[in-house]
Amino acid sequence: MSDKETTHFGYKEVEKDAKAGMVADVFHSVAARYDLMNDLMSGGIHRIWKRFTIELSGVRKNNAVLDIAGGTGDLAARFAELVGPEGRVVLADINDSMLQVGRDKLLDQGRQGNIEFVQADAQFLPFPDNSFDCVTIAFGLRNVTDINLALRSMLRVLKPGGRLLVLEFSKPQNPLLSKAYDTYSFRVLPVMGRLVTNDSESYQYLAESIRKHPDQGTLKNMMEDAGFCQCEYHNMTGGVVALHRGIKA
Amino acid sequence: MTTTIDPTLHTAALAALEAGLNRTLDLSPQSKSGLARLEDCVFALHCTAPTLDIYLHPSAQGIRLAGTHHGPVTTSIKGEASDFTELATSRDPTATLINGGLALEGDSAPLIALQQVLATLDIDWEAPLVATLGDVAGHQLAQTVRHAFSWGKQASASLTRQLEEFVHEEARLSPPRLEVEDFYRDVQELGLRVDRLQARAERLQLRLQNARS
Repeated sequence: MSDKETTHFGYKEVEKDAKAGMVADVFHSVAARYDLMNDLMSGGIHRIWKRFTIELSGVRKNNAVLDIAGGTGDLAARFAELVGPEGRVVLADINDSMLQVGRDKLLDQGRQGNIEFVQADAQFLPFPDNSFDCVTIAFGLRNVTDINLALRSMLRVLKPGGRLLVLEFSKPQNPLLSKAYDTYSFRVLPVMGRLVTNDSESYQYLAESIRKHPDQGTLKNMMEDAGFCQCEYHNMTGGVVALHRGIKA
Repeated sequence: MTTTIDPTLHTAALAALEAGLNRTLDLSPQSKSGLARLEDCVFALHCTAPTLDIYLHPSAQGIRLAGTHHGPVTTSIKGEASDFTELATSRDPTATLINGGLALEGDSAPLIALQQVLATLDIDWEAPLVATLGDVAGHQLAQTVRHAFSWGKQASASLTRQLEEFVHEEARLSPPRLEVEDFYRDVQELGLRVDRLQARAERLQLRLQNARS
């Protein structure tokens, strides 16, 4: 293992090539009850965070939108309404279980015609250069093996003037909130995961991966280094979650 | 964006407001067709007290509210919350826009159309009541609600009329409208006569000065 490049998987140090498979196992395990767990863990607030992301995306009729790590399709469903029948929304996810759940959910809601479902790795997006007006990734970037590579890939597929929005867990700004949040993440979440999905380890990984993810300022710098301009971020719920936005020049 | 509060709170408040507004619009199918005509319009409401920006996106499905908007705006209005309330409830929105405290930029016609849609909501209470309580109980409750609203409207109109009569005729606290209009007409006539008299006096004075010289 010492000759190979390593990365983190939660608090564990693992070979870079192994991380994607380990993350995939986590999501295979929780896919069926992903929406229910999101509602339980956040008290439904994840819907508000996603709504703000949609507001800031500036997506309008006839736009092309790529939702990476789109999971169960919360953002893609709303984007499909906004872009209209002439627009295009691509729901991409590296995990086939999540993609299957998302596709079934959206088709059951009667959403079709302007939505495509693509199994894709955020680091190597299978789309031509300058294809999308907006790219979003919600609660997915921390699971990507090489964040810098993924950011460059997103920049490539964006049209000039297009926006990237990264919605991700971040660092709470208030020390008291931070303490309460740590207790909740490491004591309550794994128990909740065991009760609902019969899998506490996946939610232990969730809590650890959030701590290993770059904080607000670091991620903003990484976006700038990848080539995005006018980068900014908005802290939500005291910094528990941050929404980063960058523009392709 | 001028919002300083946590976006979570701001967005949650807008989501709740939007849900309430659209639930009400669902009960008024006539209003939906009015909104469909404003489909491509974006209205920006910049409230200065309290500080809040709201963008309205009407469509056939209802109204979408947002705290931010990037792109062209059809009509932008700025003012205090009380000014917006006055506009929303006004019977004559054009007069309110001209005489009120709101600053307007852009096209006023779509804004007036939107105000008319919202001010003339014709809510059909029967459909949700029947869906919840069943045909008989729902219909009877809807009839009761309709009668209560109708009685309320009549009672309000009657009270306003009687109060007006009492103030003008019984208590003589304020003169009747016609009397006031007559008085203003007399004052205006008097003002004109005084102006004419002053002009004559000045002309006479000028003649006297010329005669002396």
